[in-house]
Amino acid sequence: MIGYSIKRFGSALFVAWLALTLAFVALRWVPGDAVDATLARGGASPGEVAARRDMLGLNDPLWRQYGDYVLGLVRGDWGESLVTEQPVAEIIRQNIGATSALSGAALLIAVTLGVALGIAASLGRWRPVRYGAEGLASLALSTPVYWTSTLAIYVFSIVLGILPGVGGEGIRYLILPAVVLGFHTAGSIAQVTAGSIRNAMGQGFVRTARAKGLPELDVLDHVLRVGMLPVVAVVALQLGFLLSGTVITEIIFVRRGLGRVLLTAIDNRDYPVVEGLVVLSALTYSAINMLADVAYRVIDPRVRMEE
Amino acid sequence: MSAAARNPRLAVALGVLGLIALVSLGAPWIASHDPRAAEPENQLLEPSGEYLFGTDLLGRDVFSRVVYGGRRTLGVALLTAGITLAPGIAIGLVAGYAGRWLDWALMSVMDALLAFPSLLLALALVTVFGSGVVQIAFAVGIAGIPAYARVVRAAVLEARAVPYVEAARAIGARPAGILARHVVPAIATPLLSFAGVTLSWAILNSAALMFLGYGGDVAAPDWGVMLADGRESFRTGPWVAVAPGVALSLTVFAINLLGNSVAPPPANR
Repeated sequence: MIGYSIKRFGSALFVAWLALTLAFVALRWVPGDAVDATLARGGASPGEVAARRDMLGLNDPLWRQYGDYVLGLVRGDWGESLVTEQPVAEIIRQNIGATSALSGAALLIAVTLGVALGIAASLGRWRPVRYGAEGLASLALSTPVYWTSTLAIYVFSIVLGILPGVGGEGIRYLILPAVVLGFHTAGSIAQVTAGSIRNAMGQGFVRTARAKGLPELDVLDHVLRVGMLPVVAVVALQLGFLLSGTVITEIIFVRRGLGRVLLTAIDNRDYPVVEGLVVLSALTYSAINMLADVAYRVIDPRVRMEE
Repeated sequence: MSAAARNPRLAVALGVLGLIALVSLGAPWIASHDPRAAEPENQLLEPSGEYLFGTDLLGRDVFSRVVYGGRRTLGVALLTAGITLAPGIAIGLVAGYAGRWLDWALMSVMDALLAFPSLLLALALVTVFGSGVVQIAFAVGIAGIPAYARVVRAAVLEARAVPYVEAARAIGARPAGILARHVVPAIATPLLSFAGVTLSWAILNSAALMFLGYGGDVAAPDWGVMLADGRESFRTGPWVAVAPGVALSLTVFAINLLGNSVAPPPANR
């Protein structure tokens, strides 16, 4: 188990390194960055542009830039914005709270709703319940947040007037965006939950449990223990989706956060900021997946046996 | 035909998709107005006989824009899915069949790409490629390759472990022949099912980039662009966002239904 954890940590580290190298290469590849754009707009001469690039180390050989970049990442120096000259690490610190609150709340809603729908769709006693839950999950999967957000703001904030719409901070402003984002994410959690429970229901131990006269409630307990396992993996995967889902949600609900920072940086070709955010999400995502893999082995002894 | 009759989900899915394809292809005959013609005097009119789904902020007919929008939105999505599927299948087949260091190298790169949430990866790629329809298709398409390659590889690993493939290898059949004759047919069903997932994902993500304004042409009739327009005017004209939203959801819903009725979605990992 400990051996596995160390090995898994090693491979997560390797993947993260590969990911940030890819990000570095891709973003160095493109011609024209914010230095050119910002200084040209301000009417700077080509000489001044060159001097600024020199100062930022953008004229160094690529291997040197790469070395500085990796060392900087490790030391916590993530470079600075080409537009505002603010350190990227500081920009992230200022905005990560709002984004974490949104994705945390959305995840809570997604898991609760998704698991409930998945159980109802697979174990519901009554046919309309099963079909209704399945339909709702499909609806969630096929309605993207950039469409449900507008709808939700219109219904809850304009027609009913019970929740604030765009802008602002605090709990009341968190409800609508979290529900919209959570609803879409619940769709795939529900589908995986339902599929996995149906799969578990068809296995031999269920027949054995019933044959030896176990009360149906205990059989259900057996089924859920096995059926809920893949949900751990899918929740980890969905966290990645939430990281990108917050981009659109933050824009529509005019919220502060990393998503808004990212889009502004993309529009300005502010590469250090784009790079920093992309690397941050890759690191977060690798860490989450690693934890999910380890958790999987802790919960399910069968996976350990296969090693 | 009998398959559709026995399977009501399949029938519904095919019916809806057929209708959407028909409307998109026949857009010039179905649309009642020019989808790009702005008539400022007809700004934000409610749905009526003349303007079935109302008009938008610039006085353009929402119905005609939705009808034409399918062409652009679904066209981009098909191109996107193609950009995901072709390399995804190739990489998955090679990695799964060759094994050893090639498998390790390919899958390491795929894992590194998978570390980026797909929409974020697509956004980062749009930074590199710039705005435009084809650029969006490439950005979203490339972002989808790692997930598809992984699914293909997993299916190949399962297919090559069966005794008849082992037997074919034992009698000295060439790898290319084994792949084409035994492995590909065996993995066709899971791949087809996941291709459906990929297509609906391509629609949602490319429309998301259109919504965010990376499509270049902001006046184009396009469901993603229209949803962005609808967001601007939802206080006074909520109908502007409703029609493209319903069209988009209906399409994705039907594709998912089709995928589920052909084969159950593959389990994760």
